[in-house]
Amino acid sequence: MENILSIKNLSVSLSGKRGIVPILHNISLEVEQGHILGIVGESGSGKSMTAFAINQLLPGGRKSIVDGSISFCGEDLTEKTEKEMTKFRGKEIAMIFQEPMTCLNPVFTIGRQMKDVIMTHQKKSSKEAEKQAEEMLEKVHIRNPNRVLSCYPYELSGGMRQRVMIAIALSCSPKLLIADEPTTALDVTIQAQIIFLIKEACKATGTGVIFISHDLGVVSQLCDTIAVMYSGQIVEVGRAADVLAHPQHPYTKALLASVPSFTPREDGNDTLSAIPGMVPDPLEVITGCRFAPRCSYAMDICHKKVPPLQIFADGYSLHCHLQKEVEN
Amino acid sequence: MEPLLEIRDLKKTFKIKNFFGSTTEVQALKGISLSIAKGESLGIVGESGCGKSTLANLIIRLDEPTEGSIILDGQDISHIKEKALRKLRSRIQIVFQDPYSSLSPRMTVEEILTEPMCVEGVKTTKQMRDKAVELLELVGMRSSNLSRYPHEFSGGQRQRLSIARALTTEPDILLLDEPTSALDVSVQAQVLNILTSLQKQMNLTYLFISHNLAVVKYISNRTAVMYRGKVMEIGPSKNILMSPAHPYTKKLLEAVPIVGKPFHQPDTEDGSVNDGDIVDGCSYYYRCPFAEKRCLEQQPEFLAKEASHLVACWKG
Amino acid sequence: MIISPKKIIGILEQNTLTLIGTIMVVFIIFIGVAAPLICPYDPNLMNIPARLQAPSLAHFFGTDEMGSDVFTRVIYGARISITVGLSIVVIAAGIGCFFGSISGYAGGKIDRIIMAATDMVLSFPSMVLALALTAAMGPGLFNTMLAVCIVRIPLYVRLMRGQVLALKEMQYVRAARTFGESPAKIVLRHIIPNCLTPLLVQMTLGIGDAILIASSMSFIGLGAQPPTPEWGAMIATARIYAIDQWWYAAFPGLFILITVMGFNLLGDGIRDILDPRSKD
Repeated sequence: MENILSIKNLSVSLSGKRGIVPILHNISLEVEQGHILGIVGESGSGKSMTAFAINQLLPGGRKSIVDGSISFCGEDLTEKTEKEMTKFRGKEIAMIFQEPMTCLNPVFTIGRQMKDVIMTHQKKSSKEAEKQAEEMLEKVHIRNPNRVLSCYPYELSGGMRQRVMIAIALSCSPKLLIADEPTTALDVTIQAQIIFLIKEACKATGTGVIFISHDLGVVSQLCDTIAVMYSGQIVEVGRAADVLAHPQHPYTKALLASVPSFTPREDGNDTLSAIPGMVPDPLEVITGCRFAPRCSYAMDICHKKVPPLQIFADGYSLHCHLQKEVEN
Repeated sequence: MEPLLEIRDLKKTFKIKNFFGSTTEVQALKGISLSIAKGESLGIVGESGCGKSTLANLIIRLDEPTEGSIILDGQDISHIKEKALRKLRSRIQIVFQDPYSSLSPRMTVEEILTEPMCVEGVKTTKQMRDKAVELLELVGMRSSNLSRYPHEFSGGQRQRLSIARALTTEPDILLLDEPTSALDVSVQAQVLNILTSLQKQMNLTYLFISHNLAVVKYISNRTAVMYRGKVMEIGPSKNILMSPAHPYTKKLLEAVPIVGKPFHQPDTEDGSVNDGDIVDGCSYYYRCPFAEKRCLEQQPEFLAKEASHLVACWKG
Repeated sequence: MIISPKKIIGILEQNTLTLIGTIMVVFIIFIGVAAPLICPYDPNLMNIPARLQAPSLAHFFGTDEMGSDVFTRVIYGARISITVGLSIVVIAAGIGCFFGSISGYAGGKIDRIIMAATDMVLSFPSMVLALALTAAMGPGLFNTMLAVCIVRIPLYVRLMRGQVLALKEMQYVRAARTFGESPAKIVLRHIIPNCLTPLLVQMTLGIGDAILIASSMSFIGLGAQPPTPEWGAMIATARIYAIDQWWYAAFPGLFILITVMGFNLLGDGIRDILDPRSKD
């Protein structure tokens, strides 16, 4: 299948008050048409920054991208000017965020805002746009689209607002949808509905999806491919089934163990395993593997040498010394 | 066993004034009865708007109940006045959901931790400082943090500070209002583990509020499932998870994302159904796939599925 | 609240505008305080033969129509302006904050009465109201100060009320209630310290404004009366000489500019310094 997006060796640094801060280190990712890529990691791991980099919305603009390319349907986004990018944003690449309230303007009705977005990117009359807005709301299973169109954002619940955001995002039939923690602020029941909506939309329209979350449990429910990020690096990428069933990287294992489950663990010990410590500050200088200080399997070499990228079959790749040891 | 805290038929109605001055009434709690024994932990699960936070606010008396009583150690505390209430404050404490707004940004960790002790006013500065250090160690933080400000900490660390602050008065009961919902799963695990070990060490009684059934299980012996201001099902957490009886509990369980569990397609219900005015029947009537006529006409009584596992459903 | 000198210096180094503002304010305060030491003449000394002389080594800023030294008068003017600005702001803020906090924390009827009073004052353009008040009380520096002060009080009432209302709902304030803190202590420990930043910023910016209004009032003849060395009053007299003897009006004008700008820049800087989130 065709790749919609392929990021190659992307490195991003932001310059701020504290000097130049490396945010992303040599990231490579691919999104296929109609597929869902999950990016998982703790806060501070660079998940959202990857999303901003794709959209060229990094705080420092294009200058922040130190190295690498982002190829979207054959065009390199890193070479586009700000003006050219506006044609991609919203139309070709749509985004939804964690808190839908802050993304909707509180003084306009939902209908007005949806119409605005539709008319910016498509040549449509006000009437046609309104009709499309209604159809989009039906697509995200809103029972009474006409009522919702005349509502102001504060009149809707969190789940409804997120549905509206998805409807807006999909209204211009984008090729890529980036969902940045869209369910984190929601109840589990609403979360399940939103996951379902994204899954349905993706399969129906062939839109590629990047789904960002800190919860492997959520990602396991809808993604085809999973990339695990840690401190600006991708530590493990592979098909969801492979990564979840046979995680190779100690960080992925640790993340998996921290997801609460119903069934008691096999060893009978019913405490959750937490990962000690925190994601390091991007400025912190760590020689070797950035996860080594928190890794319970860390060896001498992990503290000395950056683990090389190992590529296996089925798009599986891994950044870890441990795997090499086993092979040897 | 004598319950430490007992709640009898607690009701809370909010009056909401609109722009033109007329009021509408919203029933947040429609008669809740619960009891918690010393050293036990009770989980309360439900979606936002089910009244679980209102319940916590009533127990800690940030709000006045409309009807019903809250009994702590045999004493009815539901309507006692401000002065007597202040003495009682030290026995029940609360940890809020949002780690970012629950700590005063201009106070150091030491000031935050010693403030509740100042209110009690029995300790010297030295004693309070020692106590603060001890508390920090309890939640797994170093004493060197005493002079730092809240903004220097991550969400998980702040939540640990909130827990430490709640423990300063050596309370009997700790209300945990979604203490991990705003945290990463990996950090959530840290906080949950601290909470369980604290309970063992200090023989604390927890009331743990969450929207995620899988999380509640790690903390609670018993779990109550709430919907629209009513308890739908209550019983040992294990029973609720393994053999849920109420259709709503089943729905909540299906929604929990767990690795390895196949995705269960949810209903696409958008929450706009009108289920406002059910006076006599079951609050879950309009959403329940198994609802029948009796459910609308008659409020289901608690049926004992097992000795301690009660379900408010005609079909349970 | 502890602000380390290191942090202040750090911010000044990073932020040139704040540094410039601070230097301007320190300079004006310094010359105001040290006026008798700096000035070679008496500010009201008349020397008719030497009237309207251009700037020279003897008279740095030239002389006015009475032969008084403009340099000396401008320096003494700093004293007046600083006193006027500071007293207006401190009194207005003090009264405003008191009523503002009561209004915000108590709510209900008290809140409605206080807000009605502030709205009444705010419904007039502040300059016009100050003019009317001064005109009613009679011209003079003291009356001008009083009038400007009354006009500025509502600003602080509103600011404080808004802050208190927002902070009252913060969870740490609710948490303090669960420890059994009394309302007075909650206001003192949790609400006031968190209002300080916007308050101090507003006050610093307010000093510049107050000086400007007071000078304007003197300029149109309602405030300080000649021969008081007040900048606004000096410019008023200098107006007729402005074309030929530019220095007479230019130097007092320059000092008004320096003072007002200094306080405005400093106000912005204070916001950064007092924010606990800004890095050490």
